[in-house]
Amino acid sequence: MPDKRGWTLRETLIVTVLGAVFAVLYLGWVQVWLIAQAIFGPVTMDVVMGFWFVVSIVAASIIRKPGAAFVSEVLAAGVQILLGSPAGLLLLVTGAVQGAGAEVVFAATRWRNYSLPVLMAAGVGAAIFSFIYTWIRFDYGALEPGLLLVMFVLRCLSGAVLGGWLGYVIVEALYRTGALAGLAIDHAKRSAAA
Amino acid sequence: MRRGGAMAEAGRGMLKALNPLGKLVVCFVWLAASVLVFDARFQLAAILIPSLALIVLNRTPPLVVLALMVPFSLFGFGFLTTSVLFRQESDFALRMAGESPLASPAFSAGVTLFLRALACGMISAFFALTTDPGALVRALMVHARLPPRIGYSLFAAMQLVPDLAAEAQQMRYARAMKSGRRLRRLPGPGELVSLVIPLLAFAIRRAGRTAIAMEARGLAPDAPRTITQAPVFRRRDAAFVLVALAALLLCGIAVVVDPAS
Amino acid sequence: MLSDPQPPDTSPAAEWREVEVSYPFPKQRAAGPVSLSIGRGERVLLLGPSGSGKSTLLLTLTGLIPGSIPASVDGEIRLFGEDAAKRKAWDWASHVAQYFQDADQTLCGMRVEDELAFPLENRALPEDRIAAHVTCIMQRVGLPDTWRNRRSTTLSGGERQLVALAATLVQDAPLFVADEPTAHLAPEAAGRLHALLTEDGPDRSVLIVDHRLEGLIHSVDRMVVLGRDGSIIAEGHPRNVFRERRDLLISQGIWCPVSCALDAHLSEAGLEPPVAPLSVEEALAHLDPEAAPREDLAKARPAVEAFVAASTPSTSDAASIGPALVELRAAECAPFLGPTVLRDIDLTVHEGEILGVLGANGAGKSTLGLCLSGLLPLKAGRRKGAPGGVAFQRPENQFTGGTVIEEVLSAMPRGMNKAEKAERAARALADWGLAGFELRHPLELSQGQKRKLVLATLTASDRWPLLILDEPMAGLDARGVATLVAEIRMLRDRGRAVAVITHDMDLALRLCPRSIVVGEGKILADGPTRQLMQDCALLKRAGLAEPSCAGAVRWLKRVAAC
Ligand SMILES: Nc1ncnc2c1ncn2[C@@H]1O[C@H](COP(=O)(O)OP(=O)(O)OP(=O)(O)O)[C@@H](O)[C@H]1O
Ligand SMILES: Nc1ncnc2c1ncn2[C@@H]1O[C@H](COP(=O)(O)OP(=O)(O)OP(=O)(O)O)[C@@H](O)[C@H]1O
Ligand SMILES: [Mg+2]
Ligand SMILES: [Mg+2]
Repeated sequence: MPDKRGWTLRETLIVTVLGAVFAVLYLGWVQVWLIAQAIFGPVTMDVVMGFWFVVSIVAASIIRKPGAAFVSEVLAAGVQILLGSPAGLLLLVTGAVQGAGAEVVFAATRWRNYSLPVLMAAGVGAAIFSFIYTWIRFDYGALEPGLLLVMFVLRCLSGAVLGGWLGYVIVEALYRTGALAGLAIDHAKRSAAA
Repeated sequence: MRRGGAMAEAGRGMLKALNPLGKLVVCFVWLAASVLVFDARFQLAAILIPSLALIVLNRTPPLVVLALMVPFSLFGFGFLTTSVLFRQESDFALRMAGESPLASPAFSAGVTLFLRALACGMISAFFALTTDPGALVRALMVHARLPPRIGYSLFAAMQLVPDLAAEAQQMRYARAMKSGRRLRRLPGPGELVSLVIPLLAFAIRRAGRTAIAMEARGLAPDAPRTITQAPVFRRRDAAFVLVALAALLLCGIAVVVDPAS
Repeated sequence: MLSDPQPPDTSPAAEWREVEVSYPFPKQRAAGPVSLSIGRGERVLLLGPSGSGKSTLLLTLTGLIPGSIPASVDGEIRLFGEDAAKRKAWDWASHVAQYFQDADQTLCGMRVEDELAFPLENRALPEDRIAAHVTCIMQRVGLPDTWRNRRSTTLSGGERQLVALAATLVQDAPLFVADEPTAHLAPEAAGRLHALLTEDGPDRSVLIVDHRLEGLIHSVDRMVVLGRDGSIIAEGHPRNVFRERRDLLISQGIWCPVSCALDAHLSEAGLEPPVAPLSVEEALAHLDPEAAPREDLAKARPAVEAFVAASTPSTSDAASIGPALVELRAAECAPFLGPTVLRDIDLTVHEGEILGVLGANGAGKSTLGLCLSGLLPLKAGRRKGAPGGVAFQRPENQFTGGTVIEEVLSAMPRGMNKAEKAERAARALADWGLAGFELRHPLELSQGQKRKLVLATLTASDRWPLLILDEPMAGLDARGVATLVAEIRMLRDRGRAVAVITHDMDLALRLCPRSIVVGEGKILADGPTRQLMQDCALLKRAGLAEPSCAGAVRWLKRVAAC
């Protein structure tokens, strides 16, 4: 079993690099969202939101150590800012909130369980946290309650599917490329198979 | 004319040479202010000041600045429509029938949200365009005690981003060669999606290699180290912070003193 | 820095005691068991066929295996009299400078200047001394000042290797370990580096792993040869090993210097050189055309002629050239996202032709190769002809499959039926010595095995009328080279065209009837390889060197003149 306590340099680098790659993908997703928003209207944001949680799911299920979900999401936000995301410096706060939402779920399993349901729950956790945050930031209290409910449900669904499930699919595909050899996920899978 | 050119040259150097941390603090304060002060005029000031600074001092072409505004405005436009269409008290249809929508509080709130998105964007753009990411990481390691392992990880991640394009291109070559199909100049959306997993795998492998390279060349978790070319705090950084905060204060006062309109 | 005990420390700089390594998957021995020691100030050369575990052994030295790369290691490793496992890999950086087989593994992807300063920063040297060291090493290795701000990933393969070498040399450690340091370097740059590696006084211990070492073999004190099974099969001074164990080395697919063949030819003629030669000049030293007895010269002549004939193309090779296959007209070539590096290129490749592409590092050979294949669009000008296949300079870039066998099958022609595909793939893997590796991940092979896999894939599918091989020799052992030469000739006989980008002048001369020399942003010369190799001014201008048989050719001329 790899060292449970600290992060190795390789793990630190992997989490930052994941943050960077997903930052690029997130920026691409922003364009998707902007176009969809122009066509389908404002609720689109809640539908597409889940994808912005995916790095924390991927990082956590690869590294399997406390903090991976949170740190990767914050880093992805940081790199997006440097690449010029439309959301600006505030993205750092957004990233921290979303990362914390996912981290809370992993913490509840004491960083031991990374099965698909837990990953989807982490996506929902991030969705709930981010919903509270956008509530405060954009003054959602002034919106109609019915609409709010629809937005909330959509966002949770999006977190579960575009965050949790998609993250699971990505990790499985990555595992098949052999790039994850020697990491915590590899040990878990090998010892499960043995 | 020539004089102006020389001044701009000096200004360009000046913004870039400022300590990134000073800039970071100033930008954060301005951001916080633009989130807290819910006033369209203040937001306008927060858009204009960084844009002008970029155009005049950094000699960013005005067209580039305008182009930068496009995604931010699209972003902001979403807020505008949300608040106009879905404000609870606004009862949009009634108002449309009755009075001019431009005067409605929902609309002006929407405009402010729209401008705020733009303002946040421009402040961030100001930071991004005038700061070398390497210098920022160095400054963080020197002045903010960022552990070198994390600093260098950030550094490596930032250097990776431009390499992703070249790596993706190499993958496209290999695939085109094997499939026998002609390589398109730009990948289509389907091809882009199919490149995501290989690129992620590349990034993870590269992270592993970089970790070995860094450890083999002596990057220790806690040993003392030199940080070369680290940005220092100079008098001009203090001047910059003071000027920027004074400008912020003036804008704030102007809004508070004249709340009528 | 060293915790030296009171009497002068004579313990070896590095020592492996019965070391054995296996990677966690597949559970099969990857290196060893090996016992080997490098004395203080000694220069040791480690040779061995692909996959014999050389790189793996070097990685265990400071504990990167198993510290950062998971594997199980048995036995003991000692550095400067201390148990190596007592310290972490980064704590050994001041004692051991390691150049890994892959330049990308040595460099961290930063700007060149930062890359060179990095090991010194880690040692907390004062800033002004770091700057001085960086400037000094850039001059010694010959890195132009304009590279300081370039990111190392935008450099060409050889340029990157130069930077990586500078980055390890700047560490100035008492033990320097290098895994194929000159595989991608042009002859002139390789010569410069060999000089650098050996110029330091007797306190620097050096361990070098390589497959071909023409330039460095003179300065080596001892060589150690690993066999296919990973154990040591020969050890001693290069002169003795190469003369006495030549047959063993050849049977194991291990490289011998060219002079070995000449030595054998002369011995057969009864004119064995008094000391085993390491270069052609040494081999002929006792047969000076002016001083040696006439009858000896007469006896030696056929032997030398046979040697020269074996290293030049036979005249019949050039005769069978077919019509034009691919043409570049007034082409301008630029690497992806890079500036235009070649202008005004006019080049025709014919059916049944083997074309050599020579030139200094960064001349634009790889770029030209990609343009020639039609993968990289031209900036200007026209390309005519069918698309070609390319073996990229970095074999990793080639892989799209998840296993070795998948990789080979993925390149087979589409119309072929399954059974034939499988049969052909199995034959190719066996030919290249990769049988038994079918289910491995391509990236978990040794560097030479990766190269072999790429070449096997391309030559077995035989789909492309034109093949471009970008430095196919880099990392290949002698057996691989022999297979490669045979495969290229076979393709040629089937009317395919092959362009070989290489820094190995001997190979170019032997294999390619025609060559082009790339340099100064254009094609400097285009003609029969034999003629190009005699043009000293051209070779110098293009950063090349004459092939090693040139000394023998000169000798023949002088004998004829006498
Ligand atoms: N990461 C890895 N995982 C599993 N097996 C590996 C890995 N790397 C290398 N091997 C295997 O270990 C053996 C030794 O590899 P190594 O790279 O040490 O060979 P080498 O002597 O350096 O060869 P070359 O001359 O080709 O560089 C090979 O059979 C190789 O396939
Ligand atoms: N992305 C890039 N940006 C800038 N310059 C580049 C880029 N890629 C390559 N170059 C430059 O283009 C030139 C040609 O590169 P190329 O890889 O074709 O050289 P090469 O002849 O194959 O060298 P080598 O023998 O070292 O492999 C080099 O000088 C290199 O520095
Ligand atoms: Mg090797
Ligand atoms: Mg090249």
